[in-house]
Amino acid sequence: MPLQEGIYSGPGQRASPYFCMIFLRVQRDVKAERVGRDVHALWEMLQGLRAGRVLDLPGHDVPNDNLTVLLGLGVNVFELTGVRRAVPEPLTNFGRFLSPSPTGGGSLIGGSGLAYANDVTANPATEDVMIQVIADTQFATSRAVVETWKFLADAAGQGFSLALAAFFQGAQRTDGRSWIDFHDGVSNLTSDVRAGVILTKLSGVAGDKWTTGGTYAAFLRLEVDLPAFRRLKVVEQEGLVGRTKLSGCPIVERTSAGWRAVEGCPAAGKEIGGPGNEPFREPPNVADAAVLQSHVQRANHHREPSTDPDSGRIYRQGYEFLEPSSMSPGVRAGLNFVSFQDTPKRLFQILTTEGWLGRTNFGGDADAELPGMAGLLTVRAGGIFVVPPTTPGELFPGAGVFL
Amino acid sequence: MNFSSPGFADELSADLITAWNATITAQYNALAVDFGSRFFRLDPAKIPAPTAANVHWTGSPAEPAFCLGEKIAKQLSDWGARGRHGVQNEYCEYAVTYRTDAAGRTRPKRVQLTTELREYWVMLAKRSPTMVRKMVKDILGTEPSWNDLYGVDDPKTLSEPEREIRFSTLVAGNGNDAAMIEANVPSDPTGRLNTDNALFMSHPINGLDDLLYIVMFGAKPYRDGLAPGAPQRANREQIFRKFGVEHLACRHADPAAAMGAYGAVFEGRAVAFSDPIGMYIKSFSPDLFSYKDAKISPDWIRFSRGRGKIFFQRLEFGPPDTSDAFLDDIVVAVGADTEKLDNGYRVVERFEVGPMVVAGPPSTIADNEYVSLETSREPIVCSEAKVCERIKQLKMQYDDAHQSVPSRRMRGR
Repeated sequence: MPLQEGIYSGPGQRASPYFCMIFLRVQRDVKAERVGRDVHALWEMLQGLRAGRVLDLPGHDVPNDNLTVLLGLGVNVFELTGVRRAVPEPLTNFGRFLSPSPTGGGSLIGGSGLAYANDVTANPATEDVMIQVIADTQFATSRAVVETWKFLADAAGQGFSLALAAFFQGAQRTDGRSWIDFHDGVSNLTSDVRAGVILTKLSGVAGDKWTTGGTYAAFLRLEVDLPAFRRLKVVEQEGLVGRTKLSGCPIVERTSAGWRAVEGCPAAGKEIGGPGNEPFREPPNVADAAVLQSHVQRANHHREPSTDPDSGRIYRQGYEFLEPSSMSPGVRAGLNFVSFQDTPKRLFQILTTEGWLGRTNFGGDADAELPGMAGLLTVRAGGIFVVPPTTPGELFPGAGVFL
Repeated sequence: MNFSSPGFADELSADLITAWNATITAQYNALAVDFGSRFFRLDPAKIPAPTAANVHWTGSPAEPAFCLGEKIAKQLSDWGARGRHGVQNEYCEYAVTYRTDAAGRTRPKRVQLTTELREYWVMLAKRSPTMVRKMVKDILGTEPSWNDLYGVDDPKTLSEPEREIRFSTLVAGNGNDAAMIEANVPSDPTGRLNTDNALFMSHPINGLDDLLYIVMFGAKPYRDGLAPGAPQRANREQIFRKFGVEHLACRHADPAAAMGAYGAVFEGRAVAFSDPIGMYIKSFSPDLFSYKDAKISPDWIRFSRGRGKIFFQRLEFGPPDTSDAFLDDIVVAVGADTEKLDNGYRVVERFEVGPMVVAGPPSTIADNEYVSLETSREPIVCSEAKVCERIKQLKMQYDDAHQSVPSRRMRGR
């Protein structure tokens, strides 16, 4: 049973640069069968859009801009009346994040240093259905949102069970860096081991067999406090991240002269992103306690094999975002963190385990955070979804949950 | 060089240091015939410019989880001594201590967790009964009787082999040691000292020999024999398949230790256990636990049996006897949910354990040094592993043992 499209994990595959995550809410008083029929109808519309067909323009196809559509189901779906599948075991404990405090803020999960932003009082990504669209143009992802809205609006009078709850857009950078200007995502899994991390394995839990070959998606809309980060000295920034700022070379040791990066890095050009620097993208094992507290070392303990959930490896496919803000400095920059893994437990383990990202917001000494760094990242939305495999004969991925 | 006592936990006489090192060397020599190579050194002093290798894993039992899911893994792992000897085989064992509360109910009070090697304790039990008795007293707070340890009033009257047999029978189990099996020592200890408590590891797989084996097994320059051209890394499946040990590939410990070593060796680095050889608690996440909406009191988290923060081999988690609180008054965060802590599984799954391994600088691997593996790279399906049959049987036994006894009226129908 193949994985849905929209996960660009194959050798040489590169994700299209524009992204949107759409969240749909299911009315609580409807039965699973009705929801299944409605998701199917929406799915068919989106499949048409993939082929360039717009409902209001019959016979006049438009460029599809390589649109891909991926569908995920949240844990609440499994509580619908008449649902035909039990909640998959990985979602029973790891299917949701904590809710924000009614007055804003609050911990994302116990043991983690991540918290909701102070102005976030509800999590708009804790919904029943998630649709990820990725395309070559921002317009194509925006059109998917508009077409979804039009479709739902037209169906509203017919007792349709789905409502548009939220959507979040983003775009990829071409320089391999993030908003804090450091390299990001360059040590992501190599293509030969990605499937072992992403694909849900045949479970020993009989009721979960239908998820085999699918995956679980995690989404976090993370705001970055750029003013706070920029107040740090570059040497502090580098210690926090675990790489040198300009070249991206991994740091291995703190010396009296400052951070020492991996010897011979970069081997070619000025940065690790260029050809010839592949061996330097993955930070090596280090013994220096200060370096071990950096983000790159905390996020990956180089534990093998990556197929074992215990390795804490995940496949990331993130997209940066920028949006206006009514608060100073007037813009809000951040990352749509998206990861795919065979169980969301992998992500929870990374976020809550001591020595990994447990108790820390981003990196550094959890007992003595640098000024402003306890809140460098704040959460604006977050959700966990099972991404069912595409099964021959099923009307849409995961249809068997409803129909 | 000589290895010190595990965790530098005990001051050993020169004779005992010699005996401990003889134990290690004997285990190494037995394995070196098949698994020795220039990429594994028993003596860490022979590793130039050593750097720490990251070899650790989660302490919770993997086998029942991949065979039957987390819920049943928790059930079986917490099934007292049966569970401990059935599934706690990730170099981390635990026992739950129970006490009676003011209402007369038996409730879990603490979790004792250990990573101490059986071979070390047996070596001491053979040679120094007084030291072993003192170690038990230091751990439990009460001095055990000689009968609890050896089944006799005075172990000094026994020969060393007799002490080993008696101590293994009552406290340590046979550890899959051929001589102990020959002497009819059962696999699981029959006494209560190391079953009601977790003094040291007694599951046969959690031994020094297996620890050496799995690191030495991984410390070979395997190459993917199916990939043409320049040597490519073999994957876990190829390595474990080649040697017919697929059943080990799905656990936490074996692949983490073997592949951790292999990752260094494929870069031409030699690896070794650093001094002192042993298994250690690498991390614990106390912030996931709370009592009355506050952090756990530091005196409810008592690490021991090791020097400094990095060499601990033991943890006792939970309120002391002087406290009115019980383990199940503690709440643990599991994902976004919280659970009453009425078991040890939720504690042990927040632990990472592992040996101290160092790696040397990279070197060139000659063509004739590579071990080419033509075995399949296809994923090993863990839920279909042979071990799952045994786990399913254990689950059936668990269900039988926990079946509610029908009332007399029901039985009469």
